[in-house]
Amino acid sequence: MWSAVNMVEALRGHWENWVQQRLPAARVTTLNQRKIFIVPSKTAVGLLMLIALLFLLGINFQNSLVYIICFWLLSLLLLTIFYTWRNLAGLTLTALGVEPCFAGEKAVLEVELTRPAHQPKYALELAWEGEDQVQVDLVTAQTLRVKLSHSTSGRGYFKPPRLRIATQFPTGLALAWSYVTFDVRGLVYPAPVEKAFQPSGNAQRENVADGREIAGGSNDFGGIRDYQQGDGSKRIHWAKYAQTGKLYTKTFVDYASHALWLEWDELPMPGIEVRLSHLCRKVLEFHQEQREYGLRIPGILIEPGKGEAHKARCLQALALFGVQDA
Amino acid sequence: MHKQITYTGMIWLLAAQVVVMLPFLFDLPIWLLPVLLFAAGWRLRVLSGAALQPGNVIKALLIVLGIGGLVLSGLKFPSLDAMATLLLLGFAFKSLEVAQRRDALVVIFIGYFLVALHFLYAQSITAALYGMVSMIVLTGALVGVQQSVAEFSAGQQVRFNLRLSVFMLLQCLPLMLVIFVFAPRLPPLWSLPMPTGQAKMGVSDRMAPGDIEKLSQSDALAFRVTFKGKKPAQHELYWRGMVFNHFDGREWRQFERDIDPQQVQSALLTNYRWQPDALRLQGEPIAYEAVYEKTGQPWLFTLTPAVDVEGDVLRGADYRVMARQDLQAPFLLKAVSYPDSQRDLALAPELRQLALHLPETGDARTRDLAQQLWRETGTEQAYLDRVLARFRDQRFEYTLKPPTLSASDTIDAFLFESQRGFCAHYAGSFVFLMRAAGIPARVVVGYQGGEWNAAGDYLAIHQYDAHAWAEVWLTGQGWVRIDPTTMVAPSRTEQGLEAAMQAEGSFLADSMFSVRKIAWLNGIRQQLDTVQYGWRRWVLGYDGAEQAALLKSLLGTFSVQGVALLMGGGLQRLACCGWCCWG
Repeated sequence: MWSAVNMVEALRGHWENWVQQRLPAARVTTLNQRKIFIVPSKTAVGLLMLIALLFLLGINFQNSLVYIICFWLLSLLLLTIFYTWRNLAGLTLTALGVEPCFAGEKAVLEVELTRPAHQPKYALELAWEGEDQVQVDLVTAQTLRVKLSHSTSGRGYFKPPRLRIATQFPTGLALAWSYVTFDVRGLVYPAPVEKAFQPSGNAQRENVADGREIAGGSNDFGGIRDYQQGDGSKRIHWAKYAQTGKLYTKTFVDYASHALWLEWDELPMPGIEVRLSHLCRKVLEFHQEQREYGLRIPGILIEPGKGEAHKARCLQALALFGVQDA
Repeated sequence: MHKQITYTGMIWLLAAQVVVMLPFLFDLPIWLLPVLLFAAGWRLRVLSGAALQPGNVIKALLIVLGIGGLVLSGLKFPSLDAMATLLLLGFAFKSLEVAQRRDALVVIFIGYFLVALHFLYAQSITAALYGMVSMIVLTGALVGVQQSVAEFSAGQQVRFNLRLSVFMLLQCLPLMLVIFVFAPRLPPLWSLPMPTGQAKMGVSDRMAPGDIEKLSQSDALAFRVTFKGKKPAQHELYWRGMVFNHFDGREWRQFERDIDPQQVQSALLTNYRWQPDALRLQGEPIAYEAVYEKTGQPWLFTLTPAVDVEGDVLRGADYRVMARQDLQAPFLLKAVSYPDSQRDLALAPELRQLALHLPETGDARTRDLAQQLWRETGTEQAYLDRVLARFRDQRFEYTLKPPTLSASDTIDAFLFESQRGFCAHYAGSFVFLMRAAGIPARVVVGYQGGEWNAAGDYLAIHQYDAHAWAEVWLTGQGWVRIDPTTMVAPSRTEQGLEAAMQAEGSFLADSMFSVRKIAWLNGIRQQLDTVQYGWRRWVLGYDGAEQAALLKSLLGTFSVQGVALLMGGGLQRLACCGWCCWG
């Protein structure tokens, strides 16, 4: 029993290898003889039984016309294999790209189908096993764009798995199919948490506005002014005092007085993924509120900014945090 | 997913069902029609949203009604008709619940089967052409149920599917022909009930006055014959079928008791068996092939004696040839006859007894006449001549409209009162006279003559060529054929019934319009008949023997290895194609 299972596994592995070698990943794939598989369908098995029955009928009644129907259907069965094969042959599939999504959502792959001129294609089924499938015709138009979605589990890159393109047209008696592996990938952002963590007391985003020291030093020196009561001793321009004997206070052009910082280190919760999910939510919130924000996570620092491109940059950083295959 | 059938797909399916069912209405109970229309109508209402799919109660009710109808219509179980009716019922009802592609495929496959099944009922060129149309529509429906996202309008889809279906089926033809010619032809594996719902045609297995006249009103074809050599003279063409030995005072029958063809068959296999030793071959052989139309009866008609026969037939001690089964399809027989041979120079006692049997009483005047003539002549030959001369010289008339004879003493009534009759009257009364004088004699029925089709080089024998004559056993000569009708109407055997009935104008008088009477139309009729014959002979008649002959002419010498090589080559090529598609 064990060995049987083992053997099936081994065979499956062998088959997978073979398919991968035969059908290498590419952005553009044209289905040709090497790539199309074809077998009689389940319906064909039914028809074969009917043909056998008709043959018996022909024998027992010695009826030439019954034989003719019997052999006609047999010929149809054979011919239909060619027809079905031709309905797939020559078709070109081009991956246009995968739209980014959040983990747990559906990644959407856009594929462009192009048929050769004068070869309309009917009832083509594109499917991911257990995922989205779609049936299309390419009759009047020569190209067609199709979007297929696939579920994602974790953040990082989504590499579309082998896409099965199959057809049983015109008779359903034969099944022609091929696998297409696209050499494209899409980003999967971390799944944002439902509600972001709000720091108690001195909130993360308030710590700049109230004039407390800024960790890190992203503020630039702006100029000096007369010392006022209450200015911190660290901000006194001691050099000027030495020159003039008068106290001056340094002022800074403080970007952070409007920009917000998303800090990895200041998140109280443990765990990389949880933190990333929180940061993701924050990015979305700030983006929603059209505020400027920066992101600092280990190894990556993104200066404050705003807009779609900035959001994408931040989310990408979150998606690919610690991903080897970057 | 995508297993639902579209509206147009459903319409296709419905059209296919109607096309497949239509021809059966001619052969099967007529009440099927309303059932089919009801099912189709309901289906259409479901499609247009006016009705719901029938519930289980209605379905069960329909099935009970259908089976009830089947029982009430008196079909025999098991029989082909009952099976076909049941299948048609199922076919009609199945359409009520088709929603998925799989149901539709079941319907289409049953449809294909029914197309083939109908060929057990009809095999004419017309039936074949209709079958072709059914195949096209069924294949169109097969395509139709595959389409799910219709990019065309319904009209475009009809055109597209039809064209695709026709294209594919035409492209299949060469391969189909190759398989048809080379696929092995096996003998029947087991016997199956034949279609029964059809009238028996042609010469019946009993003969009462008036029977053959009725047949003479039919210009239906009985069989066609191709001669290997020269065609024998027209008046030699006596196509012998059944032998009637038993007379009950009114009717001539094959045997004393009414026995069915199966019993005749077992008699021919036992004590009534074909005795080749009783035959002394003489004269030139005549080789021919006959293709008999379906008659629903097993009787075959040959030139006697048929010595070499090829085909699934039986022969009897009375030189009859009989098919093993009722002819439900055109039947091919190849035979070589030696008409000049002497048959039964020594007559077996039981055959002699059979050929002398007369009813105990009745027809007293005829018996008296026989006694008187026998006293006057004294020898078999002289007596025979005297009886024939009496037919010739007295005022006997050959007519298709003989007067109705009384129920008893029919021979007396014919010989002494009406003296007007058809071949059956002459043959019957002649044999009676022979037996009354102690000379073994019997009535033979079959066909005489035939119409020569110059376009196709064959002889067409029609129902109106049906004829009855006599055989007399004479010492030293064996069985001799005597046709008393020729004494009265010599033109009957020389030129056929039409010429013999010219004066009376009664030939095919019942048919309103006969193309035979217009020369150029008759020419076309003969051309068409040639096509029909080719169809019978080469398509319907293509069997194991034909295949062997064809292979022999193709391969030089027929050998199993040769066939295997040929088939193997084909398979290899197919495999090559398959491999190309694959890799």
